[in-house]
This record gives sequence, structure tokens and C-alpha cells, in this order.
Amino acid sequence: MNRNETVELNRRDFIGSFATLMTLLGGVELVRRTPVQAADLETLVPFQVRCGVIGLGAWGREIVATLSRLKTAQVIAVCDTYPASLKRGTSAAPNSKGLDDYRRILDDKDVQAVVIATPTHQHREIALAALQAGKHVYCEAPLANSIEDAKAIALAAKAARKQVFQPGLQMRADPQRRFLLDFIRAGASGKAVKAHAQWHKKQSWRMTSPNPDRERDLNWRLNKGISLGLAGEIAIHQMDALSWFLNARPISVTGFGSLIHWKDGRDMPDTIQTIFEYPGGAQLTCECTLANSFDADYEVLYGTDAAIMMRGPKAWMFKEVDSPLLGWEVYARKDQFYKETGIALIANATKLANLTEKATDEAAYTSTPLYYALESFLTNVNAVGSAVEDFTANFGTGDRAALEKYLSEIKLQLAPDFQEGFEATVLAIKASEAVARGAKMALSKEAFELT
Amino acid sequence: MKRCCLLFVGVFALLAAPTRAAEDWVRYTAQPTGSLVKVEGTSTIHEWSVETKLIGGYIEFDPGFNLEKPQTGKVNAKVEVLIPVRQLKSDKTAMDTIMYDSMKEKDHRRIDYRLNEMTVKEAPQSPDAPLLLDTKGELVVAGVTNKLQMPVTMVRVGADKLKFTGSTSVKMTSFGIQPPTRLGVFSTGDDVKLTFEWLTAKKEPAK
Repeated sequence: MNRNETVELNRRDFIGSFATLMTLLGGVELVRRTPVQAADLETLVPFQVRCGVIGLGAWGREIVATLSRLKTAQVIAVCDTYPASLKRGTSAAPNSKGLDDYRRILDDKDVQAVVIATPTHQHREIALAALQAGKHVYCEAPLANSIEDAKAIALAAKAARKQVFQPGLQMRADPQRRFLLDFIRAGASGKAVKAHAQWHKKQSWRMTSPNPDRERDLNWRLNKGISLGLAGEIAIHQMDALSWFLNARPISVTGFGSLIHWKDGRDMPDTIQTIFEYPGGAQLTCECTLANSFDADYEVLYGTDAAIMMRGPKAWMFKEVDSPLLGWEVYARKDQFYKETGIALIANATKLANLTEKATDEAAYTSTPLYYALESFLTNVNAVGSAVEDFTANFGTGDRAALEKYLSEIKLQLAPDFQEGFEATVLAIKASEAVARGAKMALSKEAFELT
Repeated sequence: MKRCCLLFVGVFALLAAPTRAAEDWVRYTAQPTGSLVKVEGTSTIHEWSVETKLIGGYIEFDPGFNLEKPQTGKVNAKVEVLIPVRQLKSDKTAMDTIMYDSMKEKDHRRIDYRLNEMTVKEAPQSPDAPLLLDTKGELVVAGVTNKLQMPVTMVRVGADKLKFTGSTSVKMTSFGIQPPTRLGVFSTGDDVKLTFEWLTAKKEPAK
């Protein structure tokens, strides 16, 4: 469309817009809209990264399934020590080799990148070996179940300048949350007062298994000795995302935990609450339970001008009566939440209007945060990998400083790095410790630093 | 037998002669930093550009060419420049994808340039003054070769480096590239402008 052309608005569109405007005197949904893609762009395969997936539990298989939907990924090897999981993994990636030893994936020169989805306490050995083998690494979060292991992984990733390392903090790659980040950082919600996150899902976490050995391996999340429990397996994503929005590191964490419902021999709490304190006084409460499903999972950021609620791929803003008028919100869609009205926050809404695409009630980005996280990872692997290849083909490997300078100037997709992975892991480990002790723990600035 | 040996020595001498001569040429190789090539174009939405700092290749001068005091006229020189297509980037990944596809990157991974003729337009007043050159060469894009004539400026950088700068305009269609379009959204213009800075450093002959 020529930029000088005007968007034609017929009578029905106009009435629809006006009706929307009149309806919108309540809550506004904050929704990032999907950018328009040309048909030919959708069919183009710009590159393919040859991947190996290590760890084929439920989440590992979800990763394999997600990679199979990404045209830029080619899963050529999968690995698990348990034959039944390996079989399910190879079924999900029919053109892949099924291996029972991760070292065979690392030895395979064709594998460019690996995704590590094993139990958390096994990450260190595999991640260090993968980086040593020159592979690009996507390592699930938390990076490890101890500060020492997390630091070892992060430092190895920092040193591997020619490789991409991305922790599995998928909320940071979610386009809707990226849109909200800019919105919040621009001051749309005012001064941060507090934040709240919850995850409610009635489920046991215990999986059935054919023998005691397998039972122990399979249910590692219930083992206090190696698992960070709900803080590490679930809440880490919300703690990290909200700290990201608050643009601060907490100075203390207080935790509480109880085993209320699933008294099946486990000692891991099935219900936890954590309170993080931030410089300036803002607090984040984060609660999780395996004993009740009411209201599922969401995050809310409370500011002096508005509260912003994020639920899956959607978000809404609830404005204070004395908050300044932003202007656009009168045109936005609004949804009712009991006595509150939420203004839908939709990313790229203005751009879409210019392209005459009509707004719908559907969520703009329908893929999962994991999809976008892996998409960013693959794009960055291609950018860094091809840059290293082309640079060394022309200038050799002698001038390391020049190569690092060249790599540092490459524009990468926004994605979390080793530092952010380490910091999120520190949050989860400290929260888990606070829950176990039922106490308040100070978090020093040094606790988040890699030295 | 003796005649056979003489013949062999003669053939070897003939084959070795050009090699020997080539070794005496003064070579400047592309440097990993200090270069930039930019491609700029237009579209119905906005102007666009892609660029890369990665430019490989070399320039060789006949040992008779006096870099300290160049004279007007033809220079016996060889130039090969290569640019990996996938290193040309804008700030839009989607646009890059369309561009690589239009340039048939999977089949033709590099843009190549080979010099055919170089002429010093006017002798510089001092050794540090820019040297104005007229060049004729061949530009290979997307597997299609076109003759290219452009003025180039050469500047000495320190004791052992040469920087070449220049710009020219080409048409995408002359290289068999259809200017990318997205139906109903935008179309790009056929003309693109190439601008470059290319830093080379003297390569000492192997001892």
C-alpha cells in the first residue's frame, strides 16, 4: 500500500469503532497484535539449525514438538536414558537419531545446537560438556539447583563467545510481555507499588513408573535433596518476569511452605508463598499450589496510575481514576472483571490499523512463549554461527579480538542471556531456601554477580 | 635422455616464471575491522538499507608500481573482493529473509568483484593525499556478472594500510533480481546505491 493512501472506513466500520469507543469506559485489554506476514515470507525457510534435544520427559517432548513446528529447526538427534521416553521422543521427531548417551549428541558434528531439558541437577555436567564441544546451548531454567553449579554454567557460557547460550526463561521471549515491558518502562502504570503472581493447579506431580528406580528418577521434582520444588520448577518464570518489569533485583525474600494435600510420602511442600522486597519498598508476592486450581495463573503489576494484569497471551490495564489520560485507551477494547473494567493492551495495534486489519477478540500471539523463545534462540544461533563461519573464512582465527568485536555488533533477537539465567536461578534457589526455612533471607548485590 | 631432461627443465622454467612474478607482487589483504559496505534503496513505504562490515579479499600491485609517488595512467593491479550475502543486514529480520531469497543466497553465497583495469586519474600532490582512481571490473551478484565502472579513492592509513572508498549505482534487475514486493503493502525500487570503505593491510611475503 502506498503510504499516501488513506485507510477507507465504511459506515459499518465507523459505527463499530464508535460502539467500541462507547463500550470502552471500563477495563482495557492489553494485547499485542500479530504483525502481518506476507504469504511468501511465511513459506520461506531462511535457514535451518540442526538441533539435538537432551532429556525427553514431558517438557522435553514439548520442546521437540515445538521445534518440529518451527521451520528454522531440524531435530536430528534426541536423547534420553529411559527407553520408553526415548521412543516417544523419536516418534515426535521421526527424522532424528535416538541416543541414550548425551555425549553421542555432542560428538555429532552435524548437531549445531542442543536443548537441555533433563532434571535440573543434571544440567551442569551436560551444559559444560556441550559448551566445551562448541554447541550452542538452550538450557532449561533453573540453570541448576545450587548457586555453585549455576555459576559454573553461566561462567562457561560467558567464556564461549562464539556460541549462543540461552536460559529457558521463555516469558522474556514472549512478544506480548516484550510489548508490555516497553509500555511499563515508559511509565504507563506510574510508580511501581507491588506485584503479585500466582500459579494454581490441582495436580499431584507424581508420575507412575514400572519400578522403584525409575520411580525415583521420574519423580525427581518431589525430592527435596535435588529439586527446588515449586519455586524452581514453576515460580522462577514469574519471579524473573516481574523482576524484569520492575527493573530491579530484590534485596530480601521471605518464604512459607506447607504440605497440605499430597501426603503420599513426599516431603516437598505442595503450597508455597514467597515475598520479595525491592529497593524503594515495592514487594512481589508469589504463590503456588498443587492443591487448588482456582483462578489458575497470572501476574499483576500494581502502579500508582494503573494495575496491569497478564494472563497467558493477554493483558489488561486497570486505570486509577486520577491517572493521566493516555489518549488511545478510549478506542481500545474493554473487558469486565467483576466490578473492574480492563483495557485490552494489544501490541502493534496502531500498525495493524494502518494495514486495515480489523481488531478481533482473539489473542494476538497464539503460539506459546516456548515457541517464541526457541524461535529467538534459533535465529540467534544462525546469526552468530554464520558470522563466525564467514569471519573465519575470510580472516582466519588469529585475530580473536576482531572476531569478538564483529560478534558484539551483530543485532540479535531479544532473548535472555547467561547473566539473566544466573540471576533467575539465584532467585529460585533463595526462594526455595526461604520456603524450606520459613524465614526471611537477605539478598546481597553480590549474590547476583558472576565472579 | 639428456634431451628429455632439457625439455623438462624448459617446460618447468616456463611454468615457474609467472608464479615467480606473482610472488613479487605487493599484496594488501582485507582487514577484519575498518570496512563497511552499504546498500541503499527505496520502496513505496520508506527508504531501506542493509550493510556489513565484513569484506574479504585482496589487492595486489605490480612491483613496479610506486605507491609513494604514483604516476597518472594505468596501474597493473589485481583485485578480488568478496562479501558474504548473509552478512548484509538491516534492522528487520523479515526484510533480510526476503532479500536473501531475492538474491538467491542459498545458491550464490557471495557478492564478488574482480578488477579488470585501474587507472590513476591524477597524480597526488603529496604522498598522503588521496589517490583518485578510475576502475573497471566485474561485479557478480546472484550468479550474474555485470561490468562495473566506478571512481575509487585510495588513502594511505599509517605505514602499511590502504583504505579504498567509493560508491556506484546498479539496478537489481540487471542481476536478475526482481525488486521485492508484498502485494498491497509495498514495492521496492529497482535502483540501489552501493557505498563502500575497504581497509587493507600489507601482507609481508612469506620467508
